[in-house]
Amino acid sequence: MTTLTLAVPSKGRLEELTRDWFASRGLTITRPGGARSYLGAVEGAPDITVRFFPASEIARELIRGTIDLGVTGLDLIHETSEQGPQSVLAAGELDFGHADVVVAVPDAWIDVTHMHDLADVASDFRSRHGRWMRIATKYVTITRQHFARAGIAEYRIVESLGATEAAPASGVADIVVDITSTGSTLAANGLRVLEDGVMLKSQACLFAARAAVTENKRDAFIALFEQIGLHGRIPS
Amino acid sequence: MTNAAYRRAQLESLVEAQGGCRATPPLLLKADPYFDLAGEEFGRRLLLTTDATGAEYCLRPDFTLPIVADYIANGAGIPAAFSYLGPIFRQRDTGPAEFEQAGVELLAQPDGDIALDQVLTFARAALSIYGVVPQVRLGGVGLFEALLVQADMPDAWRPRIRHRFGHTEAMSRLLTRLEAAPDTAGAENARLEDLVEDITARMVSAGLSLSEGRTPEEIARRYLEQQTLDAAQVPPATLALLRDYLAISGDVLTALRQIEELADKHRLMLGAPLRTLRRHLDQLGEARVVFDASFSPRLDYYTGIVFEMRGAGGAVLASGGQYDRLLERLGATAPIAASGCALWVDRLEAEAAR
Repeated sequence: MTTLTLAVPSKGRLEELTRDWFASRGLTITRPGGARSYLGAVEGAPDITVRFFPASEIARELIRGTIDLGVTGLDLIHETSEQGPQSVLAAGELDFGHADVVVAVPDAWIDVTHMHDLADVASDFRSRHGRWMRIATKYVTITRQHFARAGIAEYRIVESLGATEAAPASGVADIVVDITSTGSTLAANGLRVLEDGVMLKSQACLFAARAAVTENKRDAFIALFEQIGLHGRIPS
Repeated sequence: MTNAAYRRAQLESLVEAQGGCRATPPLLLKADPYFDLAGEEFGRRLLLTTDATGAEYCLRPDFTLPIVADYIANGAGIPAAFSYLGPIFRQRDTGPAEFEQAGVELLAQPDGDIALDQVLTFARAALSIYGVVPQVRLGGVGLFEALLVQADMPDAWRPRIRHRFGHTEAMSRLLTRLEAAPDTAGAENARLEDLVEDITARMVSAGLSLSEGRTPEEIARRYLEQQTLDAAQVPPATLALLRDYLAISGDVLTALRQIEELADKHRLMLGAPLRTLRRHLDQLGEARVVFDASFSPRLDYYTGIVFEMRGAGGAVLASGGQYDRLLERLGATAPIAASGCALWVDRLEAEAAR
């Protein structure tokens, strides 16, 4: 019998909503050991092993192909590796965890409304201020890709693992790339999203690891997807 | 000796024979100068590590920067020639992260044109060791800068257009924006002092430093400049000139003739940079040469002429050119002529094995 490994976010609202989503499709995920156990199961489906991981680890393991299926944010797939999006199949959108990865500048920068303004500002920032324009973000990969596409090369990333929106006020960076669902945290910190500053629209998705969809597992994938109403999501 | 070892030995002696100093910079280098010079785009290719204090180091990702930095530290200004052959380390989509590069750096040479000829000759000699008759792609940074200085447009647009040279999509987006009908409806006549006051108030309330980064005055001036720019459009004839020019790509003699015709039509004096380009063609022998008007590395320290050479497999085997602004960017106090090139040894070997 072929076994599939399904990774589910290990805590909080994300875990709850994921389990609700599967339950509404007739798949009840159990966690026999409670919140401290990282192994689970699906009722009536002994061929599916459930593992509880932090969402960022789910993204990493999907890309590596060490788990077969997992629920995580699209932003984490893009951020974890440049090869991330090619390494997974987006099987279904779960319609929660909606958030955008955006470029935001201080509201006082009244001359900067679009990415092309930012390109102008970045290009002579160094000659004016003796340093590169600094961008605080935890989304290093996404920022680099998006800025390269926008033709902006003259900047430095300052990695920020929390409270990114405070970076301009604390003098750590000039602008930010951050994730936001309503924009209210950014606005409260005097930051404004550029008009073309949405880099990625993210939400929670069910992904299959491309490396895992092998000949002998294909039937198991198809059977599972049929069961949860995602017909035809595995290419033959 | 196997064929591959024999070729490698010949390349080694070609590098040795460059008559300059054989440079062997350390394998472990400070990462900051690379980020400072080439930005995040190149930075993501580095193999990074940190020491106990948290300072970032990278495995040598190229030879040019350590060679040139060392040259400046030892007193720039004296003509110098360096050659190198050794491993470098970069994250790549395909192939191992460790691979070999060979190359030359000619610094502060009295005649920049002769120096570039030496570089081209070196690249051709190296390629012929591997039996490659290359396709050469030339780009004219100096030519484009000469055109831009003379083209009819408000001055403030010139650096904005220059900045996008070498990035086809960003350039095209800017030209499209300029071609669209001018939107002058929102142009209110704000006074600088009022704007500065307003911006200062916003910055203070957001807790931003008024001096660490962009200042209120800088923002206000650029805001007003933008409004002026929206009103002062680039003439349609100039936009057509830029589009026509950047689209020129093909056999070098045809391309240069097209550029001459374009220059005639728009009354631009491009004779000097065009003559320089023609002179260098002699060094390229029987190679097929293409001139691509929009081709330039995205780094603004390149000047004059840039080139790349490809083999039958299509991969870039050699790339280089003139970069007279590099030494200033790395701390030299005056512009210093510089040219050089780098060869991808593993790709050359793959080409020979075809």
